[in-house]
Amino acid sequence: MSEKVAVIGGGSWGCALAHVIASNGYPVVLYVRRPEQAEEIRTKHTNQRYLKDYPLSHNIHPTTNLEDAAPCQTIVMVVPSKAFRETSRKMGDFLKPDQILLSATKGIEPGTHLRMSDVIKEETACLKVGAISGPNLALEVMAGHPTATIVASRYNEVVAAGMQILNSTTFRAYGSQDIVGVELAGALKNVMALAAGIITGIGYGANTRSFLISRGLSELIRMGNHYSVDPMTLSGLAGVGDLIVTCNSEQSRNFQVGKRLGQGETLSDILGSMQQVAEGIRTTQSAYELAKDFREPFPIIEIMYKIIYQGMNIEEAKLHLLGRPMHYEHEPSRVIPQREKKPLPPASGQ
Amino acid sequence: MRNEDRERAIVEITGRLVHSKMESSKQGGTPIIEVINDTIYHEQQRLRSDRKSPTYEEDKVFWRQVQRTLPRASEREIKQLLHQTVDHFIREIAGNFNPYVYQASVKLVPVGLGFLLNAVSPVRLLSQLPKLPSIQDHVMLSGKVEALRKLDRKGTIVFVPTHSSNMDSPVIGWSIFAMGLPPATYGAGLNLFTNPLLSFFMHNLGAYRVDRRKTAPLYKEILKEYATVSMEYGYNNLFFPGGTRSRSNALERKLKKGLMGTGLRAFINNLRANKPNPRIYFVPCTINYQLVLEAETLIDDFLKEAGKSRYIIEKDESSDIRKIYNFASSLATMDSQIRLVVGQALDPFGNIVDEDGESYDRRGRRIEIERYVMRNGDPVEDPQRDHEYTNELSESIAKEFIRDNMIMVTHLVAKAAFSLLRQKNPDMDLFRLLHTGGDIELLTQQELFQEVETLQMQLRDMEQRDELKLEPMLHEHNAEKLVQRALRLFKSYHTSAALQRRGDRYISEDMRLLYFYQNRLDGYALDSSSQARAA
Repeated sequence: MSEKVAVIGGGSWGCALAHVIASNGYPVVLYVRRPEQAEEIRTKHTNQRYLKDYPLSHNIHPTTNLEDAAPCQTIVMVVPSKAFRETSRKMGDFLKPDQILLSATKGIEPGTHLRMSDVIKEETACLKVGAISGPNLALEVMAGHPTATIVASRYNEVVAAGMQILNSTTFRAYGSQDIVGVELAGALKNVMALAAGIITGIGYGANTRSFLISRGLSELIRMGNHYSVDPMTLSGLAGVGDLIVTCNSEQSRNFQVGKRLGQGETLSDILGSMQQVAEGIRTTQSAYELAKDFREPFPIIEIMYKIIYQGMNIEEAKLHLLGRPMHYEHEPSRVIPQREKKPLPPASGQ
Repeated sequence: MRNEDRERAIVEITGRLVHSKMESSKQGGTPIIEVINDTIYHEQQRLRSDRKSPTYEEDKVFWRQVQRTLPRASEREIKQLLHQTVDHFIREIAGNFNPYVYQASVKLVPVGLGFLLNAVSPVRLLSQLPKLPSIQDHVMLSGKVEALRKLDRKGTIVFVPTHSSNMDSPVIGWSIFAMGLPPATYGAGLNLFTNPLLSFFMHNLGAYRVDRRKTAPLYKEILKEYATVSMEYGYNNLFFPGGTRSRSNALERKLKKGLMGTGLRAFINNLRANKPNPRIYFVPCTINYQLVLEAETLIDDFLKEAGKSRYIIEKDESSDIRKIYNFASSLATMDSQIRLVVGQALDPFGNIVDEDGESYDRRGRRIEIERYVMRNGDPVEDPQRDHEYTNELSESIAKEFIRDNMIMVTHLVAKAAFSLLRQKNPDMDLFRLLHTGGDIELLTQQELFQEVETLQMQLRDMEQRDELKLEPMLHEHNAEKLVQRALRLFKSYHTSAALQRRGDRYISEDMRLLYFYQNRLDGYALDSSSQARAA
């Protein structure tokens, strides 16, 4: 029998990951918070609330007790970024330094600007940490549509362990050493997804969305430079790959939030009506703090911050973004001065 | 190393290296013959430019001999040659040993600054420097001294200090003695061994020879193995993780991982051998000077290479007897101080260690660190994993340096003056400012005092938050006194003053020096008074 793997978090992605791993023959201990949910998974092998009728592997063993999950050699953390530190700290009471921890949560902690794998290192004795990220919409993964993901860690051992449990014919796992790039891209793309949603909500088409994705990517790259991120990471699955899916799919929660904003709903109404967390909201704050520190232009991140946290209206935001000075594509400091536009001469009456 | 250990170590190290090279060659790694050829190549390259080396003739003959034998050598003879090659290096590194000298020299350590200065300058002897101040009066120890003493009984200590001057080794050597700890093994540059008297002491205070001109990878591996084995034998070690003196005087951020990784290897080897006290403790220390002996040469080198260190400085203030004399008298007359702070001990994975030698995570939970290196119940080496563990350690050490950096009056006043000058010359890039001194080069008394005071307040707050340390003077005096004090120090030793008074204004005679001293505060988030006002 293969060794057990723990998955911490019973949201849509947590359950889907548990299902992928369990289907590969690894018994999964799945930690969920609500007893009813554990019961549903145990008896009906479904998770109606997040994954509709998709049947979950019988190899998944739900628990509501963190301690049950702790003895597994490999542990995958999939809790919302807001609860990530606290959950890690609780886990830390049971963990031993030889265990492998993988984070599938996408976010950057506001204030500390730590990536999730760094939070694990702060809250536990574990150093062998990694991250999982890629174009992975939970429902499509459950439907068995082929896709791929990245397992990133500075420790080869962690990359190998992660790839081992995840890889299958419908879910291909690739390895990477650039954990900083993978986690940064995974977090920041959610901000871009909000923006892409807004554009769609307004009613703009594919041109505009593509314009936003490309300029969003250039902000990712600019941010990545400050962390010596390999640009190849950002052009790969965890970067462009994830950006494209999350900025295009109605299934993306962040995209949904953005879209409703674009259609004129208020943020509090939208968030109030949602069952799941849109990570982009929180990440927008962290990204904005970082952008301020780096003293470089991050127009999309800045405008998203103003929309979400300062109540800027969409019309105003549009003017701000599109009215910025002209500059070279990859050199924002190379600005071309705008000429005064002369009013057209009155049409000569002939 | 003690005599009996030294011979044992030589055999052990040679055995290990030959074994690992043979194994790696068998598994498709570099063939032995290439390892030897590569070493010959590096050595002959070195000999071409290193004719002054005391072992020049001997080395030439040795390498010629190896080169001649190699092409016709059988499998067994090749192994033999590898053995000889390793032995050739290791004997030089380990040096000769006389147990009587060891006894005598340990007693001689605290002779004072005279010895210390002799240690930095192999040129002259003690007697020629009159009126030397005593080292006890100038080196101030603080930090976790008690914890260190206790820890010394629990396992093997590796001291990892900041490095800004050739005086660091004697300063820390003396401090280790003063704390009642056994001498630490450390690799000292070959230049410190050229003086027969000094060499005599160096060897017997636990130093082994490091010839920085020897670039062969095999040689570097042997050095690391020497450090590893000495730790396994329970000898405390000392190395400067910055690798070389900080040219800019800024704290070391990027640390050399090669030597640092030896602690983890020794720990794993100890576990495998079931040693009773297998743990290795890294103790970061910071050493700060009000005035740095070689400041002028170091900052010059920094600016010339724009950050790329040349690694070997042939001649600097520490080989100039007049400079040393001036430095010593400045120490004496100015009552100038050297501060060594013993920092928080760390394990080879970068976790903090308490005085009982136990490791804790950041939430204060005890860690069974043995498990970091276990696989299926056995301690194993894994070079990639271990390299990353050592990265964690080096990040932790760099953080401790920042916290334990003791800011001196010269750093503060230099920082104040320098940031004012930068503000007054906003269009000038750094290098031009350093070169020309700026279009506006005078500072008024009022603005300087105010800037010093603003910084002083922030620094005090930062010390409260345990973000750095301040020499007591920065608590006791006001801005005016501090400026006076710094100015007197600057004037007392360097050829030109980093900052001095001209009429009722202040001016820098040597911008590079001003920059050098302020760099110690590099990387801390400090606002200048104009910013503080704006905020």
